[in-house]
Amino acid sequence: MLTILDRIDLSIAPGEFVAVLGPSGSGKSTLLALMAGLDRPTSGVVRLDGRPIQDLSEDALARLRRDTIGFVFQSFQLLGNLTAQENVLLPLELAGRSDARSRADTLLATVGLAERGHHYPSQLSGGEQQRVALARAFGPRPPILLADEPTGNLDRATGKIVLDTLEQLRIENGTTLVLVTHDPDVARLADRRIHLVDGRIDREERTVAERVP
Amino acid sequence: MKPSLALSLMARESRGSAGKVVFFLACLSVGVAAVVAVAGLASGVDRGLRREARSLLAGDVVVRSMKPMPQDVVASIDRWVAAHPGSASTPLLEMATVVTTPRGDAVTSSLVELKAVGPGWPFYGNVETEPALPLQDLLAGEGVLVAPDLAKKLDLREGSRLDIGGKPFTVRGRIVSEPDRLGVGIDLGPRLLVSRATLATTGLDTFGSRVDRKVLIKLPDDAQPHEAEDLEKSLEAGLKPDSAVRVETYVDAQPGLRDRFKNATRFLGLVALVSLVLGGIGVAETVRAWLASRLDAIAVLKCLGLRPREVVALYAGETAILGFLGSALGALMGTAVLAVAPRLLADVLPAVPIDAFSPAAILRGLLLGTGIAVLFSVAPLSSLRLVPPLRVLRRDAEPLKAGKLARLSVTLVLIAGVFAAAWIQSDSPRMAAGFAGGMIAATAILAGAAWLTTRAVERVARGRLKVTLRQGLAAAARPGAGTLPAITALGLGVLVVVGMLLVQRGVMASLRADRPEEAPNLFLVDMKAGEWPRVESILRDAGATSVRFAPIVTARLSSVDGVSAADLAARHMKEGRSRWILTREQNITYMRELPKDNEILAGSLWSDPGKNEISIEQEYAQDLGAKLGSKVVFDVQGVPIEMTVTSLRKVGWRSFGINFFLVAEPGVLDEAPQRRVAAAKLPDAAEQGVQDRIAAEFPTVVVLRVRDIVEKVAKLLDRIGLGIRILGGFAIAAGIAILAGAVGASASRRGREVALLKTLGATRAGVVSIFSVEFALLGLVAGIIGTVGGGVLAWAVITKGMELPWTWRPAVMLLAPLGAVVLSVLAGITASAGALRKRPIEVLRAE
Repeated sequence: MLTILDRIDLSIAPGEFVAVLGPSGSGKSTLLALMAGLDRPTSGVVRLDGRPIQDLSEDALARLRRDTIGFVFQSFQLLGNLTAQENVLLPLELAGRSDARSRADTLLATVGLAERGHHYPSQLSGGEQQRVALARAFGPRPPILLADEPTGNLDRATGKIVLDTLEQLRIENGTTLVLVTHDPDVARLADRRIHLVDGRIDREERTVAERVP
Repeated sequence: MKPSLALSLMARESRGSAGKVVFFLACLSVGVAAVVAVAGLASGVDRGLRREARSLLAGDVVVRSMKPMPQDVVASIDRWVAAHPGSASTPLLEMATVVTTPRGDAVTSSLVELKAVGPGWPFYGNVETEPALPLQDLLAGEGVLVAPDLAKKLDLREGSRLDIGGKPFTVRGRIVSEPDRLGVGIDLGPRLLVSRATLATTGLDTFGSRVDRKVLIKLPDDAQPHEAEDLEKSLEAGLKPDSAVRVETYVDAQPGLRDRFKNATRFLGLVALVSLVLGGIGVAETVRAWLASRLDAIAVLKCLGLRPREVVALYAGETAILGFLGSALGALMGTAVLAVAPRLLADVLPAVPIDAFSPAAILRGLLLGTGIAVLFSVAPLSSLRLVPPLRVLRRDAEPLKAGKLARLSVTLVLIAGVFAAAWIQSDSPRMAAGFAGGMIAATAILAGAAWLTTRAVERVARGRLKVTLRQGLAAAARPGAGTLPAITALGLGVLVVVGMLLVQRGVMASLRADRPEEAPNLFLVDMKAGEWPRVESILRDAGATSVRFAPIVTARLSSVDGVSAADLAARHMKEGRSRWILTREQNITYMRELPKDNEILAGSLWSDPGKNEISIEQEYAQDLGAKLGSKVVFDVQGVPIEMTVTSLRKVGWRSFGINFFLVAEPGVLDEAPQRRVAAAKLPDAAEQGVQDRIAAEFPTVVVLRVRDIVEKVAKLLDRIGLGIRILGGFAIAAGIAILAGAVGASASRRGREVALLKTLGATRAGVVSIFSVEFALLGLVAGIIGTVGGGVLAWAVITKGMELPWTWRPAVMLLAPLGAVVLSVLAGITASAGALRKRPIEVLRAE
């Protein structure tokens, strides 16, 4: 049996920005998946706001993700047959927000894509797609945002724009951010850095005292 | 999730899937069109018969009998009419007879269907004549109206002489249409119309053996439908259970014909259902391919908070909507077919106006089409629950495999759904079970053949083959090539068409050619005993061989083993069995030796000198309730004669000889009033001349020419075959749509393949050749299995169902697979056209 994560003892406070670093195969994405309820631990407990989530049903996990967690992925994961605006609109509609459309437009403007709302992902550059993904993720104002290598597929300059936008939205919304990256420069922006090696926490670092959202 | 959001999501999800939508609709619409066409025709005929019921009966109530109408029945009718002002009754008679017209010193003759009508006929509906004069005026005196084809055949004009029953009549014009002629089935001859009173003078109506006697009754104009049924009940109350008299009202609306049509459309409905089931297979494959391309999107939706059942509901809803749209398209197509079908099938449909628009048929099509689309999508849709949202982080996270129980449940749901659809189509759980079982067996065999094909092709030593063949075979064996559904669907279509074709050809061949060399081609009925020697000499003068004759004594069944025919008939009625065999006129012959196509199964012939013996055909005996040793009493023209059953026989009816259910021992019935029936084999060229001479000398003798009857039956079967072949065509079209759909589903893969092949130096023709090998292999396997399956099906129907001999048809067995290959290649290449046109750089850049 393969052990992907071993003896992980980790707590993340509300509003904290935590970066998870490690070489390829160190278990970063698996750790993120466990936090999001996308995967279940073989042993141990995953708690969200003090509530264990590993034994929740698929329906309960879906509600949890809808209400509590936003996602940003390395490959953007926009729905190709929806426009940029419709991609941002989707989680707001699923949450039953009456102001879904206006909020989506506001978010697109925030990420600098107000004029591109009617374009499909295939008509946007990588950076633009990731910004749309950010707008989608922050739409429902989730308490927690999980980002998996958000700049992994972008060049340095575009990646910086995306990170700046992510940080802006995080501060505006007071979101707890857990970001997986293999780029130390990206990790330096976080309040705390967790280094994973072979599925274990090798070391932790803090940059500054806790930021006040 | 709110319904409005769900609809919005569905609409967005279908963007960029135009190709899949088109194939989905194509697969489904063909099958629905077939279902709607058959159901529409059935309900159209039924409605037409009901709507025209009064005209088709030419009255409100008809009392009919194959024997002279009992006096008490006639009296009952007269009393009722007298008691109901505004009502009326009139006699009617129909029979086959031979008429002659002078031709120089001789005569020329024709078998006709004679109708003798009383005053007032028809009470409903219109008679169209040329000249357009009052009917009673045209038929007054010895007037006769002839059908146009009779006029043409015998060169008759107004004023021509026509002899009926030896009496001269004058042709007063033509009868163009009559309201109560259904136009279905076989007419022995063209129509001839005379007045009932005039026919009585010929004596034909008293002697003929196949005279259909009727009394038409018209109710007062303001009568309600229940009054017709009340009259029917009161007339039937006065009849004994073994009476040969039948009463029918316009409210019944031709029950016999409607029942026969209903049985035929049951069968055709199942044939149409095959196309729809094939469409379901195509839908399943389209949905499977579509969902496979949406796995990432589904994972994202689950991440964004959509619950598993909401995901399933979303895509199931989309499938249902597409299913409805495809069914609507199919309903439109089916209605269009209905607009032309009555014209194409005029010879096999009743002569009533048939509406092309049938709401009930359209509703059936929509229900079955949408149901089949959802049913066949259950398997791919149910797997949506198993798409892991983890896929957003890990692309290699594949959907979990459904458990055995889940897969079994889905399979059972599918079988139950097909059974339910077949039950709706056939209205018979037994037929539905047979259909579902047959489909499962055929699908399993074809799927097995497809699997074996891919395994076999994988193992073929392709290294030694030319590149075109090698690539084509490799493509067919590749996982995800859609080989399995394409072969299954196309193979089922071929099976249906080949099966139908072989059954039809087998029946036609048996009808036309499968007669013994010495089988008679001429039958003569209603001959008086004294007429036979002269008739025989006319036959022999004309070169007849195999001349046979037999006496016929007509009688009524009185009792079997002490149980009266009336009680037996009452028992049959209670059990829902037909009484006809007990109430009909029994034709008994007598002979010392049996014809060679008779085989004694039990007892022995003329073995008991102390008894009057009778030999009965085995199944007939069972229907009468008689067995070996039974005492059967017949009423022979008022004289009861008891006979003991001393043997039971099997008769080879297909010898076309003269055979009887009832054969009495010589000496029992020799003195009874009797007729003669005869058969002979004549040279073809002599038939008309013999008919003319016999008709001239013996006007009551009816001459039946086997060739004419066989040709009429063959023509009718051909028309029926046309209808069935049209339905089979739907099945083939569905198979082709599925094949094209499977090709279309792999369009992007094909595009990459074409790009790579062209980059490596293959020309477009070379690529087409490679694809052609792939499609040809699919078509060949489907064609061979489908043809063999169709052959087995046809063999079973012909030999076991119809008890006819089986003949191999090498041409069909060879051409069908070839046809499947050609269709498969054409469909596949056409569906690949888009991929073939793309330039390599376009595809490679997009990667």
